[in-house]
Amino acid sequence: MASDTDYDSDGMRDNGNGGSSEGNGRRRRHPMMTWRNNLRALVVDNGRICRIMESGLLDAYGVEVEAVGTGEAAVELIASGETFDLIVIEMFLPFMSGPETARTIREMGITSKILGIAPMYWEKDAQEFLAAGIDEFLEKPFTPELFVPFLREIDNQK
Amino acid sequence: MERNQMHKHIFLMRQSFFDQGLLDEQFIQLEELQDDANPNFVEEVVTLYYRDSSRTLLNIEQSLEKNPLDFNKLDNYMHQFKGSSTSIGAKKVKAECTQFREYCRAGNGEGCMRTFQQLKKEYAILKKKLETYFQQTRQAGPSETACRPRMN
Repeated sequence: MASDTDYDSDGMRDNGNGGSSEGNGRRRRHPMMTWRNNLRALVVDNGRICRIMESGLLDAYGVEVEAVGTGEAAVELIASGETFDLIVIEMFLPFMSGPETARTIREMGITSKILGIAPMYWEKDAQEFLAAGIDEFLEKPFTPELFVPFLREIDNQK
Repeated sequence: MERNQMHKHIFLMRQSFFDQGLLDEQFIQLEELQDDANPNFVEEVVTLYYRDSSRTLLNIEQSLEKNPLDFNKLDNYMHQFKGSSTSIGAKKVKAECTQFREYCRAGNGEGCMRTFQQLKKEYAILKKKLETYFQQTRQAGPSETACRPRMN
């Protein structure tokens, strides 16, 4: 389960520059699903509870997960050479917003599946997020019913 | 209370949370993440939720005292709060968050204040019930049943 010791309750690093990610300190011994390929996901959510649940569920379904609290940290991680099959981004991130994060990641040439998520939204928010380059917009909670089809698609295409 | 009876009592208590609409299926997702390596995961996450969200609620409370109201700021706070409430399956709390956001959008300060009072009430009720539930679960110890009881 991803640990959360590096973040304050808003999911922000003290230096405000993003910072390191929370990786899977422990992979689940008996995941609920197994895949032909090794699947990696990046969760970008400033809400600590949300991040714990999103990364916990992905981990439970056999995905190797990194979780960060800011768009800046996500971009930094990707720029450092880390690759992910799936990127999950909360819409309302502080500083670099979800759409800005998605746009920046796409401009870096990343073609991974990107899912935008939010607990509540207006239609124009969803449209803005989609225009920024996400593949799909989902309303929280981020449940297996929502993400497993995408994992299956990714696994089949690898 | 005899151990089996305690477990039965806890089972019924948990079921009542769903029957009364306090929790939804997302709580079951949370329970599914608890395992031998993380035997207190549910209680830890819920405790973290109440710790983190109390600050957000204080921010909202303070923002509601300002004149004029900054509906954008209120909306942002509520967005954050709804996210974490949704994550643990706090159904009634989540519903009040949605209502609050509607009032923000409409610029209805009185509606926001009224809804916020209701939200705090639901939040406190759930907190008390879950505290009791976790306390009794700890006292009862591990259940002898092979499967965790499901909602339906």
